[in-house]
Amino acid sequence: MADLLIEGLTKRFGGVTAVDNVSLHVADGEFVTLLGPSGCGKSTTLAAVAGLDRADGGRIQVGDTVYFDAARGLYRPPEARSCGLVFQSYALWPHMTVADNVAFPLTLRKVPGPERKRRIEEVLALVEMERYAARYPHELSGGQQQRVALARTLVYHPAILLLDEPLSNLDAKLRDRARAWLGELRTRLRLTTIYVTHDQIEALALSDRIVVMNGGRIAQVGAPQEIYDHPADPFVADFIGTTNFLPARVLTGAPEGGKAVLELADGQRLEVRAERPATAGSRVTLAYRPEQMRIAAEGATGATDGGAVLRTRITSRAYVGGLWQVGLDLAGAPLRLETRQPPRGEELHLWLPQAGGILFRGGADAAA
Amino acid sequence: MDAALPRAEAAPAPPPAFPREIPIQYGTALLVLVLVIAPLLPVLLQSLLDGALYEKHYNLTLGNFLRLARTDGFGLVLLNTAILAGLTTLVAQGVGTVAAILFGRTDLPFSRLLGELFLWPLYLSALVLSFGWYAVYGPSGYLTLLWPTEWLGDAPWNLYSLGGMAAIAGVSQAPLAYIYCLSSATLTDPTLEEAARVSGAGTGRTLWRVTLPLMKPAIAYSAVLNFTIGLELLSVPLIFGDPAGITVLTTFLFNNGVSSPRPDHGLVATAAALMLVVVCFLVWLQNRMLGNTRRFITLGGKATRPRPFRLGALRWPLFALTALYILATVVAPIGMLVLRAFTSFLSPMIPISEVLTLGNFASIFDYPVYSRAVWNSFVVSLVGGALATALIGLVAVIVHRSEFRFRGALHYLALFPRAVPGVVAGIGFFYAFALLPGLGAIRNSIWILVIAFTMRFIPTGIGAVAPMLLQVSPDLDRAARVQGADWWTTSRRIVLPLMRPALVGCFTVLFISFFKEYSTAIFLFAPGSEVIGTALLQQWVQGEVGMVAALATIQVAVIAVCVAAVRGLFGVKLHG
Repeated sequence: MADLLIEGLTKRFGGVTAVDNVSLHVADGEFVTLLGPSGCGKSTTLAAVAGLDRADGGRIQVGDTVYFDAARGLYRPPEARSCGLVFQSYALWPHMTVADNVAFPLTLRKVPGPERKRRIEEVLALVEMERYAARYPHELSGGQQQRVALARTLVYHPAILLLDEPLSNLDAKLRDRARAWLGELRTRLRLTTIYVTHDQIEALALSDRIVVMNGGRIAQVGAPQEIYDHPADPFVADFIGTTNFLPARVLTGAPEGGKAVLELADGQRLEVRAERPATAGSRVTLAYRPEQMRIAAEGATGATDGGAVLRTRITSRAYVGGLWQVGLDLAGAPLRLETRQPPRGEELHLWLPQAGGILFRGGADAAA
Repeated sequence: MDAALPRAEAAPAPPPAFPREIPIQYGTALLVLVLVIAPLLPVLLQSLLDGALYEKHYNLTLGNFLRLARTDGFGLVLLNTAILAGLTTLVAQGVGTVAAILFGRTDLPFSRLLGELFLWPLYLSALVLSFGWYAVYGPSGYLTLLWPTEWLGDAPWNLYSLGGMAAIAGVSQAPLAYIYCLSSATLTDPTLEEAARVSGAGTGRTLWRVTLPLMKPAIAYSAVLNFTIGLELLSVPLIFGDPAGITVLTTFLFNNGVSSPRPDHGLVATAAALMLVVVCFLVWLQNRMLGNTRRFITLGGKATRPRPFRLGALRWPLFALTALYILATVVAPIGMLVLRAFTSFLSPMIPISEVLTLGNFASIFDYPVYSRAVWNSFVVSLVGGALATALIGLVAVIVHRSEFRFRGALHYLALFPRAVPGVVAGIGFFYAFALLPGLGAIRNSIWILVIAFTMRFIPTGIGAVAPMLLQVSPDLDRAARVQGADWWTTSRRIVLPLMRPALVGCFTVLFISFFKEYSTAIFLFAPGSEVIGTALLQQWVQGEVGMVAALATIQVAVIAVCVAAVRGLFGVKLHG
């Protein structure tokens, strides 16, 4: 096993730069997720590491082996890289049984018969598929196919493991189970892993670190909780979890950690803790997670409880089982609130905490 | 289980300096290049020389073109060619389009069976169909003799005319128009027709205003295709045109190149080059239209079969009409041909039981020339078909599944023979083998036929293989590559095994194509390397009608078995 170093990776398709100067270091045994919407460059990055696409610039190195170096014109074909890649489609060969599928990489490596047999049994046991060795892929369920695909990859002890949206072809219930199983396997194996997904829950649940990508660039790198609690920009805040954005203007500026007073478009004011320095007069966007907001206590107004109470208009309400989802309009900005009490009337008094909201520079369209 | 897997495998080997896909890919590309260029270059060169290509001294000249233009009757030859191809196209398109609508879109009784029979001329050669028509409608044909001449005058048909030839050629090519129109009709979103009906259009109006216009791109494309085939046609004009003094371009090439004791090479090559240019243009036109067809076709994605039109009271009369057509154009000619093979003489005046015999088949096996032709046909089709399938499989994998630098060029090259008429390929290979020293042994063997047929039918084979290859997910070969298999191992262990059904289909199509091919062979065969197609023409010239029928019957029977086997066993479609 080895660490992975990506430096200045760039890949263009025609006039479009799919991956734009991406640099990343994945430590030995670390599990890193590339997360982003489709077209953000995460799959292209993975394909460049596996050698399926030849990048246009940069350098990729695993351990001491240089996979790709544009400056030196060096490119190792995929078969000389020792990566393990699990495809979104699983890519099990339909004309071979499960055992034959798993045996293929060992045959290529000229592993002698008895050892080959032992290793096939071992890896099928690891993914709990030993009873299905003689089956053909089309006789397996999606979840089972996914396990075989993983076994076929693990059996030759790859230097790094690459997973390309391995859960996205499973239905919702099965996906939860498979995710838990994958998490368990991950702690057991401690393989250097790159996991590509557009599902934030998978990313948060499985990763040591998450790399959020947007438009071919890295938007933020960090541990799951760090990314969730302290998104670097509105895009990350919006992509990870549900976020409400509130455009405002700074009335009283504050240094980092100080208290700033903001004014909303309809003139309502609130005081917040500035995580980043706020300059008086500048336009900002305030971001809250739905779980941070709540309905204000009866009769409360102004600043109470370490937060601010604001008047909002109810635009929609829906009962989603155990909870009400309420659409609100606060000074022209749409907000979404989840609450256990059924909302009544046309107006609602909303409580927003002083700390915990995140202040971004610039207007609301930065988040869109 | 803790950390179940031992760490670290031996580091992967550094990439070899000279990967083995290089010789395989370049070798294949070079082979295809030589195959395609070999017949074309000599033809084009010869058309520009004043002497024969194999002589020591010659000069570059454009004189051949001038000479050809001044040749007596060449203008008439061109006119005849255009009329024949045009009339053929008209017949084929008319019949094919009506058949596509009747069999594919209405509740005509037994439409599936009729559709199958309608396709039969596609599997046979126009040569065999011509003999069949001769046996029924020829001057001493069965039906011509039955015609009540004393009341109605002479029979109203005459095969020895442009119209008669166009009828045979048109019937033999109608299945192509049928197939294209049918696939266009089944791909059309049925809601388009339903919308017309809901807005109040009756059956006839919907057909005329919606269904038919939607088929237009398919009709236009298959029309150009049929016109091209009409130009390239050798058998029908050779059998019916020559005796009547009607010469077209292919028979002009045949008579001046092969039959003539002192062939005028400059003239022949120039006419061949002219034909090549025209057909190249038509194929280019086909490709452009195919692009348009795809743009036109309204893909719904769902495989809903459109609701058939109700024919109402016309259902049975129309059935009788179509059944009569198929009986008259396909069943009767083929049936009469087979019957003729098993009789010593065939005439409505003599009861069949008196003339039944196996003598025709016996004479085929008495003459070593003809039994050898049958044997050669099998060898050429089986061995040649297998070799060609191997080459085509390799080309398809390189074109669609490799990073080969010239794969685009290879694809173009592999499809180019579509633009080379059979007679031109025959003349071209004849020159090529005459020119290159040391190829004498091949020139007088069946291998020259294998080589020429392979070149001719590479596009057909690619067409049978490529759609399936494109359906195999590229993830399957990528997975193998990532796991450590190089391109050749991946192709051999993953891609080609997955293509097995397509390769079987390809082999069958090639077997049938090789088995019935004659237009190229007629320029290339030598004593000892005859095949059924050339033997048929030779016997025909000698007037051995019984043996012609017997040989043709053998060909029809073999092809029928092949078609049935493949469709029954593998469910492979042999067309479209």
